[in-house]
Amino acid sequence: MDGPAIEARRLRKVFTTSVRRPGFVGALRSLVAPERADTVAVEEVSFSVARGELLALLGPNGAGKSTTIKMLAGVLVPSDGEARVAGQVPHLDRKVNARRIGAVFGQRTQLWWDLPAVESFTMLRDIFKIEQEAYRTRLEELDGLLELASFWQRRPRQMSLGQRVRCDLAAALLHDPPIIFLDEPTIGMDAVAKEQVREFIRYQVEQRSRTVILTTHDMAEVARLARRVLLVNEGRVVYDGGLAELQKEYGSGWKVRVTFATGEVPPGIPGPGEKVGDAHVFAGVDPTAKRELMRSLLDRDDVTDLETHGDDLEDIMAAVYRKRAAVTA
Amino acid sequence: MSELAQGWRIARRSVLYETHHPGRLAGVVTQLSTQVFLTWCLWTALYATVSFNAGMDRGQAVTYAVLATLYGRLRGPDRGLARDTVRQHVRTGSIVYWYLRPVDPQRYHWVRAVGDQLYGLAWAAAAYTVCRLIGLVEGPASKTAAGLFLLTLVLGQMVLYYLLALVDVACFWTLNNFGVGAMINLTQNLFAGAIAPLWFFPGWFQTLSSWLPFQSSLHVPLSLYVGRIPPADAGHYVLVQVIWIVLLALVLRRFWRRADRQVVVQGG
Repeated sequence: MDGPAIEARRLRKVFTTSVRRPGFVGALRSLVAPERADTVAVEEVSFSVARGELLALLGPNGAGKSTTIKMLAGVLVPSDGEARVAGQVPHLDRKVNARRIGAVFGQRTQLWWDLPAVESFTMLRDIFKIEQEAYRTRLEELDGLLELASFWQRRPRQMSLGQRVRCDLAAALLHDPPIIFLDEPTIGMDAVAKEQVREFIRYQVEQRSRTVILTTHDMAEVARLARRVLLVNEGRVVYDGGLAELQKEYGSGWKVRVTFATGEVPPGIPGPGEKVGDAHVFAGVDPTAKRELMRSLLDRDDVTDLETHGDDLEDIMAAVYRKRAAVTA
Repeated sequence: MSELAQGWRIARRSVLYETHHPGRLAGVVTQLSTQVFLTWCLWTALYATVSFNAGMDRGQAVTYAVLATLYGRLRGPDRGLARDTVRQHVRTGSIVYWYLRPVDPQRYHWVRAVGDQLYGLAWAAAAYTVCRLIGLVEGPASKTAAGLFLLTLVLGQMVLYYLLALVDVACFWTLNNFGVGAMINLTQNLFAGAIAPLWFFPGWFQTLSSWLPFQSSLHVPLSLYVGRIPPADAGHYVLVQVIWIVLLALVLRRFWRRADRQVVVQGG
C-alpha cells in the first residue's frame, strides 16, 4: 500500500473535566451541579510518518505527546481532525488497527503483574491468534535481541525496571506489527539498559523496516536514534523537520569547558565563565568571540583540560520554544 | 483459531492466579473449610431446639447455608491481589492496553469472568463433594430439583456477572469504584441470601428482594435445591432471571459503548 504509514491532519483533543469547588459546601455543590471545564490537550497537530521512518515526538511534560500517540493508536477518539494509520482511521476499527500496531507506554506495563512474563506472552499469543510456529520464531528472535530468557519466568513485580520494559517491548512486537508507538520507553532506566533498548529500536527500524514514533525526554536518545523530530508545545507543533536542520537553525551557540591548574580563571582570558565543578564553562553565540577565547587558551600552560562543543539538544529545544513564544506573543 | 477456542485459551488462565502461588491455594482451603465448618455449627445450633422454621427443616436450612458459603467461591480467584481488576487498570492507566488488542474490552472482560467462574465452580464442586461425603449437606430434593438448580445457578451467575461488570465499567467515569463495589457486595450478599436464607427475613424484605436482581443469583437456585421452592413454581423464577439477564446485558452493552468512546487514560 502506498502513502505514509501514519498521518495526522489537524488533530485536536479536548478533555472535559469536572472542577471541584473548594471546601465541604463546594464539594456538595459540585456533586449536585458539577462545573465542567475544557482542557485542550492537542490543537491542530498535523504531520506524517513514512514507512520505515523513526520520528522523535518531543516536548515538555503536558505538551500533548502522549495524547497524540493515543489518538494515533486508536485508544482516544479525536475531538476534531483525522488520524490515519496504514491508511485507516484507527479508532473506527480498533481490532484491525491493533494487529498493525504495537505500543509500549514506559510508565505502565501490559504484562500480567502476578504471572510469569512468559505466561503474558502466551496470553498475547492467544489474544492475537499467533500461530505456534510463528510465535516460537518471534520469541526466539526477541530473546536474542533483548536477552529475556534469564528472567522471563519471573513475575513483572519481581523484575527490575529494565527487565520489565524489555519484556514489554517483546510483548508489543510478538504479533509482528509494522508500526510501533514507544512512549518514553527508557524512562528511569540505567545507562546499560537504555543502550540495549536503543539498539533494539534501531534494529527494528533499520533491519525490520518498522515505522516508529518515539517520545522521550532523553536528548542523547534522540541524537542517537532520530533523523527527524517533531517538537510540540502546549498541544501545537512548533517544529517538524530534520534533527541536523534543527541544530543548524536554532543551535548557533557554542560552549567551551576549560579546567585551569589554579582552579581560577587567570587574567587575560575574555569573559568570566561559569564555574561548574572544577571547570569553567564559557558560552556564547558569536563565533569570533569563540575563536579569540580558543587562541588565548591554547597558548597557556596552566590549562589542564579543554572541551568544546555546540549546544546540547536540550538547549536547542529551549531555544525553539523561546523563539516560537516570542513570535506568537 | 476460532473465537471459541481463543475464548477458552484466555479464560483458562484464571487458574494460574492461584496455582502459581501455593500459599494462596493453602489460604483458600483453610478459609473455605473454616467458613463451612462455622456455618454448619451455627445453623445446627440454631435448629437445636426447633425442628422446623421459616418453611425449612434443619437439613434444608443447614444445606442452604453451607451451599451459600460455597457459592462465595464461585467468583474465582482474587483479582485484586493480582492487580488485575478493572479499577486497578483504570487507575494505573494500563487499561490503555485493553484498547490495543484485537479483542473487544467487553468480550475480554466477559471471557476472563467466565474463566474465573469456571475455576471457582471447580472449587465449589470439589468442596460440595467433600461436604456430601461427610454428611454436612443433603442431596437435592429430587432429580427435577437438581436439574432446575443447575439451570438457575447458571442463569444466576449470569445475573451476577452483569451486576458486577456494571460496577467495573462505572470506573471509567468514577475512576474508583471501591465504595460502590463494597456497597454492591453487601447488598448482593444480603438480598441474595448469602448472609442468611431469605426465608428467615420479614415478608416486606422478601417482597423488596423479589423486585431486585440479587436473589436470582443464589436464593433461587438454593431454594430449588433444598426443595423450599417447588419445581412447579420454577418457571416464574427462571423467567425473572432471563428478564434480568436481558435488561442488565442491554445496560452493560450501552455502558461499554460509552466507555469505549470516552476512555481517558490516567497519568498522561
